[in-house]
Amino acid sequence: MAVALVSKSERDYIKTSLQTASPLRADGRSLLDFRTVLLETGVAPLANGSARLNIGKVAREGGGGTDVLAAVKLEVEDVESGDGVDGGRVACSVTCSPSAYSHLSSNALDELQHDLTVILQQTIAHRSLHPSNLTIIPGRKAWLLNIDAVVLADSGNVVDALFMAARAALWDTKVPRTRPVEYRAPESSRATEKETQDSMDVDQGTSGFDTRDMARDAADFELPDYWDEGEVLHGRERWPICVTLNLLPPIHLLDATLTEEASIPLRLHLMFSFPPSTPPILQAIRLSGPGELDLAYVKSCITDGEKYARELFSALESKLREEDLRRNTKARDRFSSLR
Amino acid sequence: MAQANFDRRRINGPDESFQPIFDSDEEDETRWKPGKPRKGRGARDIRPIFLKAGLINQANGSAYIETERTKIACAVYGPRQSKTTVYNEKGRLNVEVKFAPFSCTRRRVPIRDAEDRSVAVQIQQALVSAVRLELLPKSTIDIFITVIENDGIQGCIASGSVAASAALADAGIEMLGLVASCSAAVVGEEIWLDPTEEEEKVSSGTLILSGMPALGTITNVWQSGSMAPEDAMKCMEACQERYTDIHAVIAQALLENVQTT
Repeated sequence: MAVALVSKSERDYIKTSLQTASPLRADGRSLLDFRTVLLETGVAPLANGSARLNIGKVAREGGGGTDVLAAVKLEVEDVESGDGVDGGRVACSVTCSPSAYSHLSSNALDELQHDLTVILQQTIAHRSLHPSNLTIIPGRKAWLLNIDAVVLADSGNVVDALFMAARAALWDTKVPRTRPVEYRAPESSRATEKETQDSMDVDQGTSGFDTRDMARDAADFELPDYWDEGEVLHGRERWPICVTLNLLPPIHLLDATLTEEASIPLRLHLMFSFPPSTPPILQAIRLSGPGELDLAYVKSCITDGEKYARELFSALESKLREEDLRRNTKARDRFSSLR
Repeated sequence: MAQANFDRRRINGPDESFQPIFDSDEEDETRWKPGKPRKGRGARDIRPIFLKAGLINQANGSAYIETERTKIACAVYGPRQSKTTVYNEKGRLNVEVKFAPFSCTRRRVPIRDAEDRSVAVQIQQALVSAVRLELLPKSTIDIFITVIENDGIQGCIASGSVAASAALADAGIEMLGLVASCSAAVVGEEIWLDPTEEEEKVSSGTLILSGMPALGTITNVWQSGSMAPEDAMKCMEACQERYTDIHAVIAQALLENVQTT
């Protein structure tokens, strides 16, 4: 998305070396190699779920790479009087840190933020991916799931990073458990009328806060356990990831750096979802940049894109499970071994 | 509880008021259910297109398109001098979309919002490879699209690209080919072309394809919703076949415009 300042001769140089019989990239990778991806979940303790993803950080140089931080925050919304929708709703936003895009004016930065937000929102907030446990009280209160991603540094391939970080943050999200509650005034006034007939042994100890079977009429809710983080967000196997193919017919590249993106402006974003034991599903396709394609080429890109996405997905899956293990089981073991 | 307008001297009405909810049974019968065929047209039929070029005299080129309940007017100003001081070797194509406040079921605020820009970005993506911008350095072509009635965003993007392409031709701007656009939706097992807003709500995924039928190339693909990759490819093939027909409609409208003036 961000255009680095690249001269025509450099652009030509990059394109020519990619179109030779044995394509060459500036950092020596093959056309389909990704740079190193680093992921950590649980980085924002106040958020319901969070993740930080970095593509292409060079350890020796101490920094660099495309750095994205994604966090999920749940808010309670009123369905009747507020903006809430019965069943909950999902809202995504992407903020681009001005330090990452110092060469862009604030208008251009706003437009870039908006475009990235729209890609994320239209894909993730689609009704086919809507999680089923966002209702608190049916018809009255529901959760609003806010996914906010911040691009801290951009060194190419920011859309892939955003989707991977969003998926990791959603995987990590825990929805607090709630219980509907209703207050009913105790029937003390009626007891005084019947006092000649009834004795005082009737259980007048029934509290107004009787929480049994209240779901139909309840207007409020409580958290049964304040310290419980909650249950995982439903449908987390279906969140999609994105693979961006930079198109230079007849070849294509994965994970382009900034100069490669400036030289090859035509890009195809493919968002795939791999639910378990079902064939893969395409959640979104976006094409950006000037260039004409023919249908056969687009079809081959989709087929190849599916393969790359599957590899990316399984690598992300195994890392997420490893992260779960590190933060839960291993942390508990470490704590118990201290005593 | 006591609002600012609580008046002790008068009998106050209720604090909040709600619209009555109409539960009509007949709507339930006519509403589409999975397994039923499409209402009103065949699965691969598009809505009839009315396209007229040259309606706005003040603009360099203009077009008005109407397909049942989607009505879009497009005006092209340009090529005119770029306001920016930066030297642009190639011309710039600037698309602005505005939804009239009365265009949707719920009144839209006249301020430009997010949805306007996302439609504009897709229309620009469809047109940018077709216009010969390298012949227009330091210039900008402004395309202003006004949506008068909106029946589904996919319909807006597709019809908007068609209208913009006709308007650009009407303005005499050199292009590699006319851009035509078609949308498709996957409903159950079938593929329906040119879905309306209601049809899009019952679909599992939608796709918009834009391209130049004269050259057989594609300039924009937009897909949303859950679709198997094979279904997406079938949708693209169906759209490509159909937009060749739409190209004939655009050419006919432009020819009529030239013959009458």
